[in-house]
Parts: sequence; structure tokens; C-alpha cells
Amino acid sequence: MQALRTAATGMAAQQLNVEVISNNIANMNTVGFKRQRAEFQDLLYQTLERAGSQSSDQGTVVPTGLQVGAGVKAGSIYRIVEQGAPTQTGNDLDLLIQGRGYLRVLLPTSEIAYTRAGNLSLNDQGQLVTAEGYEIQPGIVIPPEATDISISKSGQVQIKQAGATAPSIVGNLELATFVNEAGLEAIGDNLYLESGSSGAPNLSVPGVDGTGVLLQGYTEASNVDAVSEVTALIIAQRAYEMNSKVITAADQMLSTANQVKS
Amino acid sequence: MDNALYVGLSRQMTLQRQLDIVANNIANADTSGFKTEKPIFRTEPKSPARTADGPKPIKFVIDAGLTRDFSQGALRTTNSAFDLAIDGAGFFQIQTPGGERYTRDGHFRLDETGRIVTQAGQAVLDAGGAEVIIDPKKGALEIARDGSMSQGIEQVGRLGVVNFDSLSDLEKSGDNQFRNTSNQQPQPAPGSLLRQGMLEGSNVNPVLQVTDMIQVTRAYESLARMMESTQELSRRTVERLGRVD
Repeated sequence: MQALRTAATGMAAQQLNVEVISNNIANMNTVGFKRQRAEFQDLLYQTLERAGSQSSDQGTVVPTGLQVGAGVKAGSIYRIVEQGAPTQTGNDLDLLIQGRGYLRVLLPTSEIAYTRAGNLSLNDQGQLVTAEGYEIQPGIVIPPEATDISISKSGQVQIKQAGATAPSIVGNLELATFVNEAGLEAIGDNLYLESGSSGAPNLSVPGVDGTGVLLQGYTEASNVDAVSEVTALIIAQRAYEMNSKVITAADQMLSTANQVKS
Repeated sequence: MDNALYVGLSRQMTLQRQLDIVANNIANADTSGFKTEKPIFRTEPKSPARTADGPKPIKFVIDAGLTRDFSQGALRTTNSAFDLAIDGAGFFQIQTPGGERYTRDGHFRLDETGRIVTQAGQAVLDAGGAEVIIDPKKGALEIARDGSMSQGIEQVGRLGVVNFDSLSDLEKSGDNQFRNTSNQQPQPAPGSLLRQGMLEGSNVNPVLQVTDMIQVTRAYESLARMMESTQELSRRTVERLGRVD
């Protein structure tokens, strides 16, 4: 009976859905996290009678075909790249990207990754690094004698040094934008890699060409909405139950057939 | 005498098929652009069941076809630039190796050459039937209600939404796509609006499906009981007639 296998695909799909939702809920407080959603597609169809096929020598045709579907599969899991709420931290090295764009990060493998988690720090050499210690590109070095760091909306990093009256510029931060941000490949640690579907990165000065601006002293909260995640969880759970009901129903029919006395 | 058994059996076979279809509807209750299916049953008039003493109005039931409910599924916001929902009738045209396919699942993406493609990498066609190519450097893609696409102030093309005079000639080919099985040509669907950043959900009504499912199992059981009593009847007949006093 096809219904048994069909319902099993439905249960597997809803299980995946719950996994995605639970990852969203687990990352509710992760800086710069973007929530994900599972998309489903229907599986192959068994065509028992083809629509439009001849049903007699007089040329009459079958008006509607007869197809039985084999269930559902996961089509894709994609990220929803909405802006998360700003959280004020007061830390000079916390950056919020207001609008589109990603900071560039140099991985230890010398690959370039992208992130929206702007909770930056300095390493032992005074370099601006992410929470994992990966260097931000273009590299910015803050000298140890700097007393005050200010980062402008357009990414200009200025420091004040003891004895100097005017602040001095130590570098400019850039933002990378992608045509299809949702296509970036997540590699954990709030980092993303460029992929075939994201398109190539466009580097620009923050605030130019539709890129976002930088806000110092804030971080971007995750865009997970607890209420909608819990609602999605309830829907997924009910859908799972409904699929298991189909299995029960199919089982009941088979058992009825088995109990027929010969 | 055996007619009751065979007629009952024909109904049981259609009920099994109905459960298969209900199972597929329920499995796809969360599939973008999925359209609910319902089997059509009819009596088979050509070859009615016969008994020795002449024709009787006893007819078998067969599953004659399938209706699809093409009504609009609920729209939900995703805020992804390449998610499109059709508000109204019509389909997106997709170029696949097996020919053109039609879908209402507008969950698209860009590929590495800048074409708008489905998740499986098949090109989405514009109003003129050509592939849609976007230059990512020109900025964010905006798709208007009528399908016209622009990046900044520059218009870069127009996405095609097509419809058919007879939707029953469409056949599902999996991956949320439909195949045209007749000679009819797809027509532009001017009354339909595109909504960027939204997807159309499945139009499966779970409550109706579960109710259908309960009806199917109950009908199957009562048929099994009917067939059992028919057999019981013939068993007794044989017993009584065969008794030699």
C-alpha cells in the first residue's frame, strides 16, 4: 500500500522541519543569527491514466488523468535575511550593520568568510578580530597607546592617542553585499562563505550603493521570533501526527483485509 | 451470488487508491504551491455485473480520474528577494531538460551565471520565453506586481506568468511542477499579481483530509463485513443444499 510509504515521507519531512525550527530556537540569542526555514517539494507521481490519452477509437480522450503521488521531500533549507533588532552594548568594538552587507573575515585557512556578528575584539597584536580571533578584512591595527576608538557610519576607524589633539585614522571598514544573500553557505560560528547561488561579493564603503551603515556600540540580535517559531513548531508537530494517522489508517485497512474469513 | 463479492472488491480497490491520494495530500500539507487532489469515482456502465438469470442493475465502481483544486493557497511572507508568489491564476514557466514545466512554487535563486533558477537549477523563463539573466553588480532586484523586474532605476526584463484554458490537461511531474499533456498553448495571465518576498503555501485543508481518511477506513471495514456476510451466506447455502436427509 502506497499510503504507508507516502505518510512515512511526510513524517520524515516534518521531522526535518522540527530540526530546523529547533536550531532557530536554540539560536534565539545568537548575535547576527538569521532564522532558517525548510521548503518542501512533492515527490514523483505514478501516472495510472494519462490526461488526454485516447479512450476509444472514436477519438474521445480521457479528460482528467489519474496520478498518485509518492509523498514529499525536502526541497531546500534557506535563510531569511531580515534585519535583527539592535542591542545596545556600549562596547566600542561592537558593530551593528544597519541594512545590507557583511563584514569580511580572514579564516585561518586563508579563505574569506562573511559575518554580520559585529561583536569584535582586539587580539594581542592590536588587530581587529572576531570573537573567534579571526582577522577582519581589510586589517585594522589599533596601537596600544590609543585611548579612544570611534567607528563612523561609513566605516572609518579613528583613534585618539595620548598627547595628540586631533584623532587619527587607522583604516576603513568595508562591507560586502550579495545579490542573493540567502544563498550564502553557513559554516557555523556566525560565518558564511560565498557560494554559487549567492553570487560574487560586491565590496563597497558602508552607506554607498545601497549597502548598510555601521553603528558603533550595538550588536544585531538574532531575527528569530519566538512566537512564530513556536507556532511553526505546533504546526509541524500536528502535521507529523496527521501523517502518523495515515499510517494507522492504512494499517487498519490492511488488517481488515487480513481478517476476511476465507 | 459472487457479484456482491466482486462489486465490494472493486470498491475496496478504489478506497485503497483514495487513501494513497489522501496520504499524498497530507504529506504535502506544507509544500509550497501544492494543489489538493481528489479522485473521481464512477460506475462502470459498459460491463455490468451479470447473473445467470439475466442482466441486473449491478455495476462496478472504478477510479475514473482525478480533480485538482487549483484554488489559491495561503501566502506567507519570507522576505527573500527571490521568493515569488502568484496572487491569482497562472504558473511560472520553467525550462527543464524534459521540456517546459509549470509551477506555482516561486522559491527561486540565482545561479553562478546570474540566471534566475529553481532550487534544482532549472531556468525560470520571462514573458517572452527566454531565460532571465541578472547582473548582480547593478543592485538589488525588485519585481513589481506585473512581473517587471528592475535593478535600481533600470528595467531588466519581465517575468512571465502563464495560464491554460483547460487545467485538467496538466499533469504533475513532481518537484512542485506541472507538465502540459495537450496541444493547448500557455496563454499570458494578465490578471495575476506577483508578490515578491512571499511564497504560496499548500492549499491542502488538513481537517477535510483527515475526515476523508476516516471515511475511507470505515467504508473499507463495512465492505469487508459485507463481503464476509456474503461468504457466510454462500457457505450456509452449500451446507444446507448439500445435506442429504
